[in-house]
Amino acid sequence: MDPSLYLDRNTWVHRLDPRTKMLLLIATFVLAFVFLNPVYELVILALVVFFGYLAKVLSNLRRIRFILIVIAIFTIIIWFIFGGGNLGGVIYGISIAIRIDITIIAGMIFLSTTRNEEVAIGLVRLGIPYRFGFAVSTALRLVPTIASTGLTIGQAQRSRGLDLDSGNLIERIRKYVPLLVPVFVSTIRSTNVFSMALESKGFGASPKRTFYLQPTISWRDGVVLAVLVALLVAAFVLRAIGFGG
Amino acid sequence: MAEPVIRIEDLTYRYRGQREPALDGVSLEVAEGEFVVVMGHSGAGKSTLCVSLNGLIPHFFRGRMGGEVRIRGRSTREGRVGEFAREVGLVFQDFEAQLFSTNVALEVAFGPENFAVEHDEMVRRVKEVLGQVRLEGFENRQPATLSGGQKQRLAIASVLAIEPRILCLDEPTTDLDPIGKMGVFEIAEELEEREDVTLVIVEHETEETLDADRIVVLRDGKIAADRPAREVLRDVELLEESRVMPLPVARFFKERGIAIEERPLTPQEGLEEFKRRGWRVDAERHQKLVAADEAREKDYGEPLIEVENLTHRYPNGVVALEDVDLTVHQGEFLAIVGQNGSGKTTLVKHFNGLLEPTEGSVRVGGVETVKQGIRRLGERVGYVFQNPDHQIFSDTVADEVSFGPRIRGLGETEIEERVKEALAAVGLEGREEEDPFGMTKGERQRVAVASVLAVRPEVLILDEPTTGLDYAEQQRMMELVRRLNESGSTIIIVTHAMWVVAEYAHRAVVIKDGRVALSGTVREVFSHEEELRDLALRPPHIVSFGNALGYPVVSVEEMLQITGEG
Amino acid sequence: MKEIFTMWRHTQMVVLVALSAAIYAAVLIPFKGFAIVPGFIEIRPANAFPVVFGLLFGPAGAWGSAIGNLIGDFFGTLTLGSIGGFVGNFFLGLLPYKVWGAFFRGRNMETNVDTGKRLLAYVAVTVLASAVCAAIISWWIAVLGLYPFQVFFALIFFNNAIIGGVIGPILLYAFYPRVKRWGLLWTEILEPEEVSASRLQRIGNLLVWIGTIGAVVVGVFFGLSSKNPGTPGVVIGVALFLIVVVIASLMLGGREQVEAVEAEEEEPGAPRVSRAR
Repeated sequence: MDPSLYLDRNTWVHRLDPRTKMLLLIATFVLAFVFLNPVYELVILALVVFFGYLAKVLSNLRRIRFILIVIAIFTIIIWFIFGGGNLGGVIYGISIAIRIDITIIAGMIFLSTTRNEEVAIGLVRLGIPYRFGFAVSTALRLVPTIASTGLTIGQAQRSRGLDLDSGNLIERIRKYVPLLVPVFVSTIRSTNVFSMALESKGFGASPKRTFYLQPTISWRDGVVLAVLVALLVAAFVLRAIGFGG
Repeated sequence: MAEPVIRIEDLTYRYRGQREPALDGVSLEVAEGEFVVVMGHSGAGKSTLCVSLNGLIPHFFRGRMGGEVRIRGRSTREGRVGEFAREVGLVFQDFEAQLFSTNVALEVAFGPENFAVEHDEMVRRVKEVLGQVRLEGFENRQPATLSGGQKQRLAIASVLAIEPRILCLDEPTTDLDPIGKMGVFEIAEELEEREDVTLVIVEHETEETLDADRIVVLRDGKIAADRPAREVLRDVELLEESRVMPLPVARFFKERGIAIEERPLTPQEGLEEFKRRGWRVDAERHQKLVAADEAREKDYGEPLIEVENLTHRYPNGVVALEDVDLTVHQGEFLAIVGQNGSGKTTLVKHFNGLLEPTEGSVRVGGVETVKQGIRRLGERVGYVFQNPDHQIFSDTVADEVSFGPRIRGLGETEIEERVKEALAAVGLEGREEEDPFGMTKGERQRVAVASVLAVRPEVLILDEPTTGLDYAEQQRMMELVRRLNESGSTIIIVTHAMWVVAEYAHRAVVIKDGRVALSGTVREVFSHEEELRDLALRPPHIVSFGNALGYPVVSVEEMLQITGEG
Repeated sequence: MKEIFTMWRHTQMVVLVALSAAIYAAVLIPFKGFAIVPGFIEIRPANAFPVVFGLLFGPAGAWGSAIGNLIGDFFGTLTLGSIGGFVGNFFLGLLPYKVWGAFFRGRNMETNVDTGKRLLAYVAVTVLASAVCAAIISWWIAVLGLYPFQVFFALIFFNNAIIGGVIGPILLYAFYPRVKRWGLLWTEILEPEEVSASRLQRIGNLLVWIGTIGAVVVGVFFGLSSKNPGTPGVVIGVALFLIVVVIASLMLGGREQVEAVEAEEEEPGAPRVSRAR
């Protein structure tokens, strides 16, 4: 079972260095937060969606459309209530809603174009300590394994008569115990073997470490980063000379 | 002889919190290029011996160590694990717990990366090693998507990439299906050939140890034997005392009173010896066995599970089962065999309603499973999953076993009675208050069986009931299942262990690519040795031995029964 | 608080970070529960894990919770909010073991819930850590100008506190003896000198509660009294109290808990590692 959002498409976006993609994601977040103006947010949204189109990953939008819509409605209602119950509150709410949807869509595009291992490698390449990056990438690798163990455990307990869908809230929460205990115990049980296997492969044996994967920054990364810087500068200049606000 | 590469002197080791030492005064020498197999029961100290070779003992565990382990003359006390890891590569049984990376190439490169090997050299090693374990072309695959056998080969590759001169494999094939096992054995054979690699393998599969230079048998932390392989394998008495499965052909000759030195080991050798001694098979007695099979079939009750034209397609479109027909009668003992991914487990998951047919029908007690629901079906069809740790969650054995009855709203006295009955059935009476997590794997397996029995199902499905158990535990488990069958339960086991099928099941169904490839009494199915080999299933030696004589048998006992003097 | 850095030296702690993160994230997927605000807040049984991880694995549990939450976002919605989620979940795992040490100072500091007193302590640390976690995330969300503090705070706090309070003790009771048997309690893996000693532990314990309550009160008060979520009252006021929480957790230390285990080990019979195979 693979719950990952990654879509294996052969586009230039996919081939960007993971660090470039991370910067791209952060820059998009920044762009979305420079102004709070529904028109401006719509422009950024359009840019982000266009980028997603270039990366051929918009099909994933369908997977999260429910989330996008619910968040938008929830946001507008919250801001209608807390914004004084008037039109101003609604417009403010709409701006915020678009802003949040931008960050979600940007995150979705990032995850759809970047493999989990690239995320981990990108982190290490950005100067995050190796052991931390190792923990992240190992956890990422284990998630599908443990999730499918979880499904097996669910089947085993249902075979014994466990029925998750009845009872009040507290009872229903408690019914997760026969699922959570085996997930935890069967995973944590392997900690020592896991650690021994690591040490047996020289984990931490040498202060220096080499890397099999070599960075592959290309001219495309340069172009993307240049465009990015231009956009950010433009946005900040606009803000500085008093647009939006 | 030159200085041995491994020299263990009077090694004693006690884990912290344990009363008994795991190893007790073990001395052992292994020369360069040797191939040594280590055997022994669960808890005999095999794994402890392995982890003492690269310094995990004494450095990783905080137990008490006596004696000395020297690798190429250097005591493991004197250096860190990282230093000895270059010399001694260690592969563990649990392949899931030793793969860390997100793709195959990175996994292999992991060790060299840790030792700061130069990039070009690393690329060369990754290519070379993946070739050795036949995983070329898999470089970019995620380890999670590989089969069990491929994972274990990858684990071996990732250790080989460090280029250790000593390689120690701890039960590398225990959790694998037959094809997976073969893949690992092939690699092991190639490594044996190499003069510069010293190989230490812990192994349960007696039939695979014939090529070893030596076999070391451990019993309760001590060395029970350390002799040339064939000598040890002929010594059936020693192996039985050490709770290790003896070779069936050797056992047959032992039971016939043949002296240790004269016992043959393989079916081929057995056949020659059989003829040389002028023994013959009593055809009449064999006919009686066949007749008994037939009589047993007639004794079965009503059809209990009826599968008709069953096809199952997973949501992703993969066809797991195609057009399967099968009827299980009351009182049967059925074994379902096949490779991993052949559809065995998918099939049996239809019997208790965990899966629903895409096409065709599955009826239990005459009623379609889809109309009954898992909960109601669970009262008729009990399902024991492969790994007991996937279902045990309680703090005491009694709580665990009472989960099924309790959730079905039975009264306290009734629950108590059923717990007692179920624990008695699995031989765990009086251990109600024990913590199941503190028990051995074999005991946990029995707790899992008891917790299913407590619901008093008519049919008991056991998925791989013997995996990860040693010979004595496997026998104990299967004797338990046999007793349940004799007292009226219908039994369905899914298994890779061919000797279990031969010795215990009545009928076998072989599944291949979602279809029934062979079906019949165990005797019939095993007499099709060629077809089985094509399906990568190897019958036990004693079956091959019988087949070679022209009289299919399923156990050493049967072979003894039908053998007469010339 | 140096143990959150020194722990990375230990292979077992690194593995525990990875495994607890993976469990946390993985359980989010098949047992997803139901969403209150999809993408931001869901009722999820996995929410009981961070406190349990923290009490068993100490700093590794804190890192594991933080990374696990982030990975959960990887499989759905990675947003700027994820940063707040990372830090918030870190403290959700960190505070329980720190405060526990202060509660049971000078007494048996085992993090099991086998007595009424310990159960009470469990509920207390769960409430505290859930409040801090919720305050951190809601503060961050308010700083970003997305939602008023009190809205998010209420959602996250009740979700974590209820799930954690209801099944957390059951889980910890089930896990503790096993984790101890396998020698995987953080207090058994780390050396005393790798863990900060406590300073003015009682005052630290007092401060952590004051900081938490202060952050919540200030956040809710200014959140309700302003239309702007990023109002200085919230941004600065909550931040000040959260700084108090951080300072308090520096004072709470943890070395005493490790030393207690060391002392116990001197006596025979303390099981450390048993291996099934």
